[in-house]
Amino acid sequence: RFLSPEFIPPRGRTDPLKYYIERKDMIQRRKVFNIPEFYVGHVLAVTTADPYATDKSKRFVGICIQRGGKGLGATFVLRNVIEDQGVEICYELYSPRIQAIEVLKLEKRLDENLMYLRDALPEYSTFDVNMKPVPRVEHEEIPVNKLQVRMKPKPWSKRWERPKYNIKGIKFELPEHKMKAAQKWSQPWLEFDMLREYDTSKIEEKIRKELSEELEK
Amino acid sequence: VQDCHVLRYVSKEESGGKTAKLLVGGKNVSPFSKPESAHEIFKEAGVPRKQKVTTFNVTDDAIIKPGTPLYAAHFRPGQFVDVTAKTIGKGFQGVVKRWGFKGQPASHGQTKTHRRPGAISTNQAAKVYRGKKMPGKMGNIYRTSFGLKVWRINTKHDIIYVNGSVPGHTNCLVKVRDSKLPTYKNCNKNPPFPTFFADGDEELPEDLFDEEIFQFTDPSVTFS
Repeated sequence: RFLSPEFIPPRGRTDPLKYYIERKDMIQRRKVFNIPEFYVGHVLAVTTADPYATDKSKRFVGICIQRGGKGLGATFVLRNVIEDQGVEICYELYSPRIQAIEVLKLEKRLDENLMYLRDALPEYSTFDVNMKPVPRVEHEEIPVNKLQVRMKPKPWSKRWERPKYNIKGIKFELPEHKMKAAQKWSQPWLEFDMLREYDTSKIEEKIRKELSEELEK
Repeated sequence: VQDCHVLRYVSKEESGGKTAKLLVGGKNVSPFSKPESAHEIFKEAGVPRKQKVTTFNVTDDAIIKPGTPLYAAHFRPGQFVDVTAKTIGKGFQGVVKRWGFKGQPASHGQTKTHRRPGAISTNQAAKVYRGKKMPGKMGNIYRTSFGLKVWRINTKHDIIYVNGSVPGHTNCLVKVRDSKLPTYKNCNKNPPFPTFFADGDEELPEDLFDEEIFQFTDPSVTFS
């Protein structure tokens, strides 16, 4: 079952009491305002309250590039290209200014961080502002889009070909010797490093139980 | 707030200051790591050994009997508070990090001089003044941040939510006092005086909020 990533406490020396109280507040907010289940790669429409806009509310449609932050400060970044200008807005999930979040298109991508869309051709980040929500087919699977994105010519904002980013969703059109040179920065020992292991399965179980109990009340 | 108890009352004449003092102890800690002579104060008050003991200057009408526990409900949301703690220790640091000196340019012929202090005094002075900013141990000293507003108090877990940043690392011991700033002198409306007693006189709800704060039970904010 799905558990939102901001519920899992990060590894550190803070008192678990702090995370327990943050979770209580998050559950309170979720009871009043529905936050749908979404992953990186979904297309979302967010309406926020704005005192300076006519109609006092703003609607923004975009693809979710990344989800960051833990606890009440959990954020997600939506990207769209409007009139040839790329726009990225970072929203906080638990902000009281957000009035509605709708999932327009359900689609997981191959990576968890789609920041490379900034260096990809703009057609991959454009989404129609008045898009109709695509109806959800089944309850179980979320389709994975294995789209290979084509990039603009180099220089990029980050060197996405390096193995540290571990990106599978780009169609690299670089010559062979450049791809080989990028592998020089690979760190194959990282996946075997035992000090970096953070097993969250038991923590997740407990949090899932807590969540389901609280939300049923 | 973790197990705070009042340890001793020192009267004005005894201490020689302007007001009476109350010694307060903080977090509980094992009694085995110190000799018996250090336990006397705690035995008089009937309280386990505390990690930190601080003094608070108190007026005569706010004296509390030694041995009473102090809770987070002593403060109310909407009060202004000063917080003192030991800052994060950075060790021996150079002049650029410690005092914010600009250093020297990275290129254009500089030989081995990029983060040095440069000149330390003038020719006329013929000495270096006391208190000259130089490299040394940085951090791990007591610092106070003033005028922090209290937004929320959790009475069940004894937690005080305070505005802005507070000196110190996570899980460090912190001294919280009423603000001494002149703008906030008359801001404390009906705080529990001398302190909040948990004997059962008034039943406080688990969470106390300030008026201006957003409650999670309300729907999303809309502007009209």
